[in-house]
Amino acid sequence: MGDNSEARGAVGEYKAGWHDPEDSTIRFDFGLSEEVVREISKLKNEPQWMTDIRVKAFNHFSKRKMPTWGNMSMLEEIDFDNICYYLRSSESTEKDWDDVPEDIRNTFERLGIPEAEQKWLSGVTAQYESEAVYHSIREDLESQGVIFLDMDSGLREYPDLVKKWFCSVVPYSDNKFSALNTAVWSGGSFIYVPEGVHVEMPVQAYFRINAKNMGQFERTLIIADKGSSIHYVEGCTAPTYSTDSLHSAVVELIALPGSHIRYSTIQNWSSNVYNLVTKRGIAHENAKIEWVDGNIGSKLTMKYPAVILKGEGSHAEVISVAYSGEGQHQDAGAKIHHLASNTTSKILSKSISKNGGRGSYRGMVTVSPKADNCKLNVVCDALILDEGSRSDTYPTMEVANATARCEHEASVSKVSDEQLFYLMSRGHSEEESLAMIVNGFFEPFTRELPMEYAVELNQLMALEMEGSIG
Amino acid sequence: MDSASRYLRMETPDKADHLWRYTPWKKVHPTGDLSEIPTLGQPEISLSLIDGSKAPNGIELKRGGSGEPDFSMSSALTNSFLHASAKDSQWTLVVDRGFSPGKPVILDVKASGFPSVAHISLEIGKMAEFELITRVTGNSEWFGLLRTGQIQDGAVVNDVVIGLLERGTMLRSDRIEICRDAQVRAGTVSSGSDRTKSDLRYIMGETGGNIRVLGSILSTESMHLDHHIEIHHEAPETFSRLSWHSACGGSSRTIGTGMLTIRKGSKGADAAQIFHNLLLSESAEADSIPELEVMENDVVGCGHGTANGPIDEEQMFYLKTRGFDEEGAKNSLIAAFLNSTLSEMGGGELHEWLVSELTLQLEALNS
Repeated sequence: MGDNSEARGAVGEYKAGWHDPEDSTIRFDFGLSEEVVREISKLKNEPQWMTDIRVKAFNHFSKRKMPTWGNMSMLEEIDFDNICYYLRSSESTEKDWDDVPEDIRNTFERLGIPEAEQKWLSGVTAQYESEAVYHSIREDLESQGVIFLDMDSGLREYPDLVKKWFCSVVPYSDNKFSALNTAVWSGGSFIYVPEGVHVEMPVQAYFRINAKNMGQFERTLIIADKGSSIHYVEGCTAPTYSTDSLHSAVVELIALPGSHIRYSTIQNWSSNVYNLVTKRGIAHENAKIEWVDGNIGSKLTMKYPAVILKGEGSHAEVISVAYSGEGQHQDAGAKIHHLASNTTSKILSKSISKNGGRGSYRGMVTVSPKADNCKLNVVCDALILDEGSRSDTYPTMEVANATARCEHEASVSKVSDEQLFYLMSRGHSEEESLAMIVNGFFEPFTRELPMEYAVELNQLMALEMEGSIG
Repeated sequence: MDSASRYLRMETPDKADHLWRYTPWKKVHPTGDLSEIPTLGQPEISLSLIDGSKAPNGIELKRGGSGEPDFSMSSALTNSFLHASAKDSQWTLVVDRGFSPGKPVILDVKASGFPSVAHISLEIGKMAEFELITRVTGNSEWFGLLRTGQIQDGAVVNDVVIGLLERGTMLRSDRIEICRDAQVRAGTVSSGSDRTKSDLRYIMGETGGNIRVLGSILSTESMHLDHHIEIHHEAPETFSRLSWHSACGGSSRTIGTGMLTIRKGSKGADAAQIFHNLLLSESAEADSIPELEVMENDVVGCGHGTANGPIDEEQMFYLKTRGFDEEGAKNSLIAAFLNSTLSEMGGGELHEWLVSELTLQLEALNS
């Protein structure tokens, strides 16, 4: 067996699996009702329009059936009555680490957040359970008019801006889980980048579920004004419990003409978390939206980052990787809708299944009748590393314009014996060789990540490959 | 449970089921009343060689079916409905072991006047080697064709179904088992009927099965042609290729959905599927969903692809420089596009016959 001590040292065996004692200041009882929804809104002192939309969303959620596709048996295991929908562990969102409660501060320090902020981030928000506990942004960006707040503060400080865009890309009636999120959302990020401003270094949000049977429902809204650009990075972890938690976020991106939004995610929830997320962006003329999406953890992920190419000349890219281990089902994919002419898109999906895990690519690409000269390309590659694991591909392509050029290709294979033999003949152990091949397989994804994330992802994958041989 | 009871117990499929995403069952059902299994008429069916001569010994079309087929698979709605509605309209095509006529055999199905249905059971004997064309013609408002059966060990069969109904709706369902070392080319040529819904399933449950599924689809005017193809690898060393070419003109719509499954234990499986769509007009639409489920890691390879596009301008330019007019160049490219799958469906004589049928359809496209 190869020595992966370096990787273990860097990553640990699901290094984020510890938990702090639950020391909440407000904790709602388990279960969801209109009263709970109204109480959350009241607690946050929200405007009436937000309370109303929450209640409407709750009513929709109550009526809406569970999806009749995907891993229905896993979905049916979700007990909505055994989830806490709001839990606050800190009285306020702090701008100084020293003011964050000590136990929470320790959590994020163990996750390396303050260090990362000092070295290479433009801003950070850290969410613990339902609320953001820490938030900061570089002064020079603030002075240029960049708004980077937790969503609750965004609603308080910029109600008109939030009202204009909230639910404009993902309506609450979009699906059962977007309705749930709209009803009980708390936390998340609100970002506005003014016209022509380029945020050179990424901003990061870090989401942590600590309590058992917790539901985290953050809501993120990013608006990039004309000609601006921003790179947003999010990471997610949770402790390992024997009971399940639910993470159901909604992310809305608005890329106004000529702007560029890149949204990177490294999802490493523990294997007891349902990760059911709706992410969608709308790209106006010549705007560009990129989703860079890594799914490593969780029990069941259902996530299909989407882009609506509304403006002529807009472009979308989705690059995603998924690792499915024991008991995991990564049901991920992408959706791109070409509504305008001369729009282009590219989807690259890579997945690995191991130890009985199941990886699914589920995607949709549409070209509307009025969208002339569109080009799109979809590539899905999957590796199945052992017996009992599984890989699925469910792509949908609807083309209603004769000038469109659309390509989709997918392949499922095992690790090539020739590649293994070559690496072993160069002195690597079989396990190291396998880890290198897997890292090479994921390389188109990791090269799009900030360096620190790419290194950690490579180490994480090396660790996951440990014990693969023999 | 018999097919009628099974059908009546089924829930109406919704759009989340890709088989029914684009063509709701209500639009395909002969009366639209989903709780009804209507009494339908019988088509005229005859068997001959391609030159019109009598079918030789070794192949026989008998009245009556061969018992309750095994529909124990998910979403067997079309099979169950057609089997229940065709209880008085069953035939069995019995092909002897080693049958080898040297010429293609034509099974002519004429569905005229009234809504009708036929269930044809295929009993293809071991080591048989022949080409079968099932040609559906007529002006029936509604026609249902169910084909079930087995292609037994070592048989080599080119099985082509050509749908040329003048109008109306055609519902077709196949459930064909491919036995040990059998080699099958399953071709579909479709350019008739206003609406076609096909649910084609090929199961390779024994080692060495080999199938090539081929489609040449030409849709014009306001046609709606929806083909769903499932290929199931359930045994080691099985091989499949699916190649589906659709040319779509007028305000028509073609749909190709595929499901390729590799069950656990199908070591050495080799599978691929590809859908090509050629869009010929502004209001035509082509949709594809090539699905893949792989539960075995020790496979030679599994892949799928889709490509959509218009007629290539460079190819048009080249043909025009060689003296073709606009229409001639376009027709040549459409014919070449459809011919790339048509030419794989069988031998020279079968191919020639198919091309002559296709030429008539292309002429209709321009008229």
